[in-house]
Amino acid sequence: MTTDARRRPGIERAFAIAAVVGGVLAIIAGSPTRPTRGSVDVTELARIVEHEEDHVTATELAKWIRDDKRGLRVLDIRADSEFEDFHVPGATRVPLAEIARMSLDSAGTYVLYSEGGTHAAQGWFLLRARGVKNVFFLRGGLYEWLEQVMNPHVASTTPQAVRDSIRAITLWFGGKMTVVDSATTATPSALDGELSAPHRSDARESIRKIRRRAC
Amino acid sequence: MRDKAAPYASPYVTGVGIGVVLLLAFVLMGRGLGASGAFSSVVAAALNTTAPSHAAANAFYTGYLSDGATNPLKDWLVLEIIGVVIGGLASGLLAGRMRWTTERGTGITDRRRLVNAFAGGTAMGVGAKLARGCTSGLGLTGGATLSVGSWLFIIAAFVGAYAAAPLLRRAWR
Amino acid sequence: MMAPLYEFGRFGDGMGLVIAVLLGIAFGWFLEQGGMGNARKLAGQFYFTDLSVLKLMFSAIVTAMLGLFWLSWAGLLDLSRVYVPETFIAPQLVGGLVFGVGFATGGLCPGTSCVAAATGRKDGLALIAGMFAGVFVFGEAFPAIGHFADSTARGAWTLPQAVGLSYGTVVGVIVAVALGAFAGAEWLERRAERPARRMKIAA
Repeated sequence: MTTDARRRPGIERAFAIAAVVGGVLAIIAGSPTRPTRGSVDVTELARIVEHEEDHVTATELAKWIRDDKRGLRVLDIRADSEFEDFHVPGATRVPLAEIARMSLDSAGTYVLYSEGGTHAAQGWFLLRARGVKNVFFLRGGLYEWLEQVMNPHVASTTPQAVRDSIRAITLWFGGKMTVVDSATTATPSALDGELSAPHRSDARESIRKIRRRAC
Repeated sequence: MRDKAAPYASPYVTGVGIGVVLLLAFVLMGRGLGASGAFSSVVAAALNTTAPSHAAANAFYTGYLSDGATNPLKDWLVLEIIGVVIGGLASGLLAGRMRWTTERGTGITDRRRLVNAFAGGTAMGVGAKLARGCTSGLGLTGGATLSVGSWLFIIAAFVGAYAAAPLLRRAWR
Repeated sequence: MMAPLYEFGRFGDGMGLVIAVLLGIAFGWFLEQGGMGNARKLAGQFYFTDLSVLKLMFSAIVTAMLGLFWLSWAGLLDLSRVYVPETFIAPQLVGGLVFGVGFATGGLCPGTSCVAAATGRKDGLALIAGMFAGVFVFGEAFPAIGHFADSTARGAWTLPQAVGLSYGTVVGVIVAVALGAFAGAEWLERRAERPARRMKIAA
């Protein structure tokens, strides 16, 4: 039965050699993924940071989400379980290691956030090194989101128009705005990325309240 | 069309050809080739038409249907198999290997051979569903992607076949 | 990373189905060219007279396997988006054994039975009918054996993960095993031909 098959010794040998070469080189290569190399224009990056063009506020992000901004990709850099507890609507969970390898949308606008803001800033740098231009991060992290969008405390002296705008956003995301007497010290904004301990517990309390309401 | 059957092509060359087709499937669709899934889709669809409540109550069949309509991804295999038929037909026609006949050994009758084929098909249907694939879906696709279960399947399949072969010698001689 | 193209939204479901047919045509063409539509030839595998099944399957696996590795290495293919068939240890071992017995009995596999039927082989048609029956039997038995069928799941478990060697090493080993198997196959087939040649000389 085998004699009825046409044999092509030349082609077959070529295939065999190609297979040997491919196989041996594969053993040497080891991994089928090569490290991604990035390059940065340090001067340019420094300029961007100085002009604060590297980050957005939670309010700005909220408006982008509400207005369904084209190509918006919100990335959450935190651990798995934390993401399950609460995340910004529409966000996808991407660990920092993935940032190095993930496929990129050239037309996208990336916004990264983490708990405080440090990891998100690192992710920002990685994406810029990979050549992404439209990338920002939340400097105050998730706490800023909770503070500005989900549970804002607004001074009673704030102009009505501003208060209405904030309330509209808060309600859209299922949050709650609180108006406080200007005599009471307003909650300091999380400008430096890390909230002090009492405010961190405020944030956790906010998350708990949101979860309960969501049931 | 030839009047004399052409010799078969080199198994190595055709094997590499199939490997390229398989690779194209990965590159284009992100999935490999398959066959047994198409049979499941047809059975599920047929049951959905003739005995819909029975099909809906069975998790296996509903896996091959989706909201009453057939899942397009499962349809992919059905269309691929249609292609296989067309390709096989074209090749057979051009090589002069078309024959309305039954391939069998000299030791058995046509009828016995057809019974064996049906029985073999039934066993393969069951085996393929248990294993979630056949020689195409697991052997080729799983083999190329280094899936552990697929390699286990291939080995087990060859063991089963070689174990049964001595009992079927007369059928193939 | 631009591949898999479908996964990156380069085309839609409709085009995907067109591709299915085209790939199927090429698949069926090569299968018939290699004689896989002929049950007698296929069965030769199990009597060591004609090892085309081994040669064809292994060649295909090695080709695609090397293709996947190097396309990924070159940054052209995102391996993490390529579908890896899931592992179910017990069902695949048992299913494999049952499948193998059926394979030896029927002389064709699901894919090649379609090629056989396409070229007029009645046994191909009978086997296809058997496949439908087998799927139906399994479906009906599913409520009872579904638990076994879903047992020992390991997800998309790959050989490199299982044996703790690098992907490339596993690839290299498989290539070596394949070439060894091919050499063995050639030797076995020559051995099977020898009695015939001896008889020719004697006559």
